[in-house]
Amino acid sequence: MNHKVIVGIILSFFFSFAQASVIDNMLQQYTAEGGKNFSAARGEQMWKTDYPDRDKPGAVRNCSTCHGDDLKIPGKHAKTGKTIDPFSVKVNSERFTDPKFIEKWFKRNCKWVLNRVCTSQEKGDFLMYLRNQ
Amino acid sequence: MERPAHHSRVLVWDLPTRVFHWCLLISFSAAWLTAENDRFLYHHVFAGYSFFGLLIFRLLWGMIGTYYARFRSFSYDWPSVTAYLKGLITGQASRHLGHNPAGSWAIFAMLAMGLLISITGLLVLGGEEGHGPLKSIVSFEVGNVSKELHESLASLMLLVVALHLIGVIVESFIHKENLIWAMLSGNKPAGLANISVRTYPLIAVLMLALLSGAALVYFYGYITQTEEQPFLAFKHDSLPTNTTWSSECGDCHLAFHPTLLPARSWRRILDEQTDHFGDDLFLETEVLEEIRDFLIQNAAESGLTEAGHKINASVPKNTTPIRISETVYWKKKHEDIAERYWQSKKVGSKANCNACHLDASEGWFEDSNMKLPKL
Repeated sequence: MNHKVIVGIILSFFFSFAQASVIDNMLQQYTAEGGKNFSAARGEQMWKTDYPDRDKPGAVRNCSTCHGDDLKIPGKHAKTGKTIDPFSVKVNSERFTDPKFIEKWFKRNCKWVLNRVCTSQEKGDFLMYLRNQ
Repeated sequence: MERPAHHSRVLVWDLPTRVFHWCLLISFSAAWLTAENDRFLYHHVFAGYSFFGLLIFRLLWGMIGTYYARFRSFSYDWPSVTAYLKGLITGQASRHLGHNPAGSWAIFAMLAMGLLISITGLLVLGGEEGHGPLKSIVSFEVGNVSKELHESLASLMLLVVALHLIGVIVESFIHKENLIWAMLSGNKPAGLANISVRTYPLIAVLMLALLSGAALVYFYGYITQTEEQPFLAFKHDSLPTNTTWSSECGDCHLAFHPTLLPARSWRRILDEQTDHFGDDLFLETEVLEEIRDFLIQNAAESGLTEAGHKINASVPKNTTPIRISETVYWKKKHEDIAERYWQSKKVGSKANCNACHLDASEGWFEDSNMKLPKL
């Protein structure tokens, strides 16, 4: 086994702990804000729900509009075409390691897809779903 | 120097002089052909450097070279020129083994103009492009003015080249000798002053070796480049960067370098962050402040890049564009790009600079680093 593999394994351990603790901390925060019994199934349901596309009448948008259907491969920004790193924590160890980053993107993307802010309950459900993808 | 008593032909042009002549012709033609299209600026600059180097060699050779190459052997006064030209009309122009009086004036004119073209070229390169030996000395404005001079001088040069060519043809007919062949072989039929010069082949070989070696080093990047890692012409110092800017702006689109818009535009864009082309950025105050400082400090007014300089100059002071593609300079530079490129999947949007500009993320936007994708 060469050095790169060893370093990789150590790093991925580190990141998985970091992710676990960051997600757990955020779930605690969402609980404190009134969320409870977070459910991966509800999160998945939300992920797949279509909302009207406000720029193109008649069309719909959802999370996959930018993140794609396969979370293990990169997505594509709907407007600019910029590549978006894969969502899956299994291939992108940097996902869910920065609470500020997570919050910022909840704000932006809930507004873009749902045209409103997400509730703490919804955000908790989302994280429950995405942490295992 | 030898005096061949019975030889019918003498060597007039030594090998270095001939190599100089034809290489100068090639480098001038190459520079002329690469001048119009900005994408070939890197090639144009090489042609220019070769041209300049050759001229410097010729100046030296005019002082220490062989007989006919020396300036002393063909420095005629103006009356000799008029006498020679009158002789052409009456058909009594005397034959000269080396340069004739009219030809010599054309030679001196071309040498002088060549040097001026080289110097103004270096001024443009230093001032406008920020490269070459004069880059930190010459202002953008001086570079800009020099460009006009550089172009006019080059056109004038072409005119003198035409006169020189006419002269060569006319004299070839009058004296029934092929002067073009003489510049290739070096030989001429012996005349009254039949001084034959030495060939100096080693110096000529050295010249060719230097030129081709320099070309190899200069263009080596184009040989070793790959599809994923294209060669970036004109390596220069990195432009200022900032991690908050590159990560926050680069999350959704190319992080457009601050030099691409004036400071007032960046202010407006950040002030309108709740409606950033339709989206709410939700940037926190301290993040926003850091990005704002970075953008304003390095905005187009900073004059860090040629593109920035020209964009800024093209934006009327009473307007505050929020798209780079709204600026006059941008529009002018992109007017020739066919619609099918914008529509293609590889480009898709006017905001997708790096589809064609290989150095867009560095912020350089060098002319030579532009390449339309294959559709």
